[in-house]
Amino acid sequence: MRNTFWICRRELASFFFSPIAYVILAAWTVLMGIFYSGAFLTYAAVSMQLARNPQAAAQYNITPTSAVLEPVFSSVSVILLFVAPLLTMRLFSEEKKQGTMELMLTFPLRNGQMFAGKYLSVLSIYLVMLAITLVYPIILSAFVKVEWTIISSAYLGLLLTGMAFLSVGLLASSWTSNQIVAAMVAFMVLLATFLMDVLAASASAPLASILRHLSLGMHLRNSIRGIIDTRDIIYLVNMNILCGFLVLRSLEYYRWRG
Amino acid sequence: MIRVENLTKYYGNLRGVKDISFQVEEGEVLGFLGPNGAGKSTTMRILTGYMPPNSGSAWVANVNVSESPLEAQKNLGYLPENNPLYGDMTVRTYLNFVASMKGMSGAEKDAGIKRVVGSCGLEDVANRLIGNLSKGYRQRVGLAQAMVNDPPVLILDEPTSGLDPAQIVEIRNLILELKGNRTLILSTHILPEVNMVCDRVVIIHQGEVAAEGALDTLAANAQVDSTIRVSAIGGVGTLSDKMKTVSGVDRVELLGTSTGEEAHFEVHAKSGDDIRSDLVAAVSAAEGKLTEIRQVRLTLEDLFVRIVSGERKHDEVTVNA
Repeated sequence: MRNTFWICRRELASFFFSPIAYVILAAWTVLMGIFYSGAFLTYAAVSMQLARNPQAAAQYNITPTSAVLEPVFSSVSVILLFVAPLLTMRLFSEEKKQGTMELMLTFPLRNGQMFAGKYLSVLSIYLVMLAITLVYPIILSAFVKVEWTIISSAYLGLLLTGMAFLSVGLLASSWTSNQIVAAMVAFMVLLATFLMDVLAASASAPLASILRHLSLGMHLRNSIRGIIDTRDIIYLVNMNILCGFLVLRSLEYYRWRG
Repeated sequence: MIRVENLTKYYGNLRGVKDISFQVEEGEVLGFLGPNGAGKSTTMRILTGYMPPNSGSAWVANVNVSESPLEAQKNLGYLPENNPLYGDMTVRTYLNFVASMKGMSGAEKDAGIKRVVGSCGLEDVANRLIGNLSKGYRQRVGLAQAMVNDPPVLILDEPTSGLDPAQIVEIRNLILELKGNRTLILSTHILPEVNMVCDRVVIIHQGEVAAEGALDTLAANAQVDSTIRVSAIGGVGTLSDKMKTVSGVDRVELLGTSTGEEAHFEVHAKSGDDIRSDLVAAVSAAEGKLTEIRQVRLTLEDLFVRIVSGERKHDEVTVNA
C-alpha cells in the first residue's frame, strides 16, 4: 500500500515536472470552455426565442441541464480520446526506455502495486481535470435552476468512462518502450471502440446491438441524461479489469523476456 | 550467503547462461569476470529477482529468489550495468523514493539517506537534479541507491565502467570501505581492480563457469608450466646448452642480448618443481655470470585471456578449483 502511494507520488511529481502536464491541462480547460460557452450562448438565444413562443416551448421541453451541460459532458469523451493516450503514454514506456524498469523490478514490490501506483497517479490527474469542469454547472446554477441529480449521474459516468480510457492507455504503454507508439496504439484502440457505434448504424439487428454495447462512447450517453444503467457500469468496470489484467501479464512477460 | 545452483537462462534460442553454479560466503567480495556477452549481467539479473531462470535456483541471503522474491529483494542492493536513474528527480528525493520502495520509513529512512549521502560524497549535489549531474556523480547516486537500506548483499554490475581514473579510484575506495560487513558481487572488466578488491573470482565464458577460486590459487592452478627468466653474461651457446641439461627443463628460449653481452633466456620447465637453484648451478657450470633469475607468475590477465581465447594447452590441468 505504501509502495503504491510512493509510486503514485513519484509519477505525479514527474508529470508536473514535464511541460506535458501544463499543456494538457491548459488545452483541456480551453477546449471545455469553448464547448461550454458555445452551448451556453446557443441556449440563451434559443430560450429568448422560445420565451416569445410558449407553444413551441411546451413542445421542446428544453432544460438548462440538458441544453447546456449535456453537450459539454458528451464532448468529454471525444477530448479524452486524445488526452487519455497523452496522459498515459509515458507511464511504462519511459521506465522501459530509461532502464529504470529494471531497477523497479528488483525492488521488493509486486507488479500489482506498481500498476496501482501508476494508475492512481493518472486517475488523480483526471480527477483534477473533472474538478475543473465543475465550474460550469456552478456558473449555470447562478443564473438558472440546475438538476444536480442528473449532474451527479453525469459525473459518475464521466469518472467511469475516463477510468476505462486511462486503463486502455496504460495497457498500450506497457506494451512498448516508445511513448509515441504507446500513444498511437492507445488512440487507435480507443477510436476503434468508439467507432463501433458508427458501424452499428449500418449493421443488422442482433449485431448492431452487440456493436453498440461494445462502443465506449455509448456508455456515457445514459448517465449524462441521468440514467444509471448497471450494464454501463459493468461494461466500464470490466474494461478496467481486463486492461489491468493484461498490464500485469505484460509486466510478467517483460520479466521473462529480460 | 549467495548460492547459485545449475542456473540456466535462454533468451529464445540465445544462450544467456548454462548450468552455472557458485557460492559466495558471508562477508566475501566476489569478482565476476568474463568477456562481454558471457552472461555476467544475466546471472546478476536472475540473482536480483529481475528475471526468472529457465531452470536452476538462486539463493540470496539464504532466501530462494524464485520462491520468495520479495523477501530476497529486501536483503539486496543492486546497481544495474547502465545505472538507470530518474533524471527529473533531485538526488535527495530519488534516494527518498528508493528508500520508501525498500520499505523504510520515518527516522530509519532519514538516517539511511543521510548515511549514504555522506559515504558516497553526495552532500554537495543532494538537492540538484540527477539529470544535470556528471557521470561520476550519477554512478555514486547509483551506489547510494543500492546501499540506502544497508542490505547484507550488494550486487554491482560494472560499477566503474565509463568513469575517469580519479573517479574509478573513488568508487573503488568506496567499495573497499564496504568490504567486510557485506557480501558483494562485483562484475568488472578492469582486472587490476579485481586484484585490489576481490577475495575470490568467478570467470564465466560463453555462459558457463570457466574458472572459480581464490585469486592466488587460481593463478597457481592455471600455471601449467613454470617459466623462469634467466639473465647471464657469458657464451650464449654454452649457457643455453648447459641449462637444457637441467632435469625438468622443457626448452630454453633466447629472448635477446643487451649491452655488456648479457643474454636473456626464458626457460620453460615441465612440472611445477622449483628448478631455480639447478639453473644457477648450470649457469656457473657454463662459466657465466648470473645477473638475474626469477620465476614468471601467471597474472589474472594471462589467465583471463587464456580462458577467453579458449586456449588450454594442457588438458590435464583443470582450471576449475
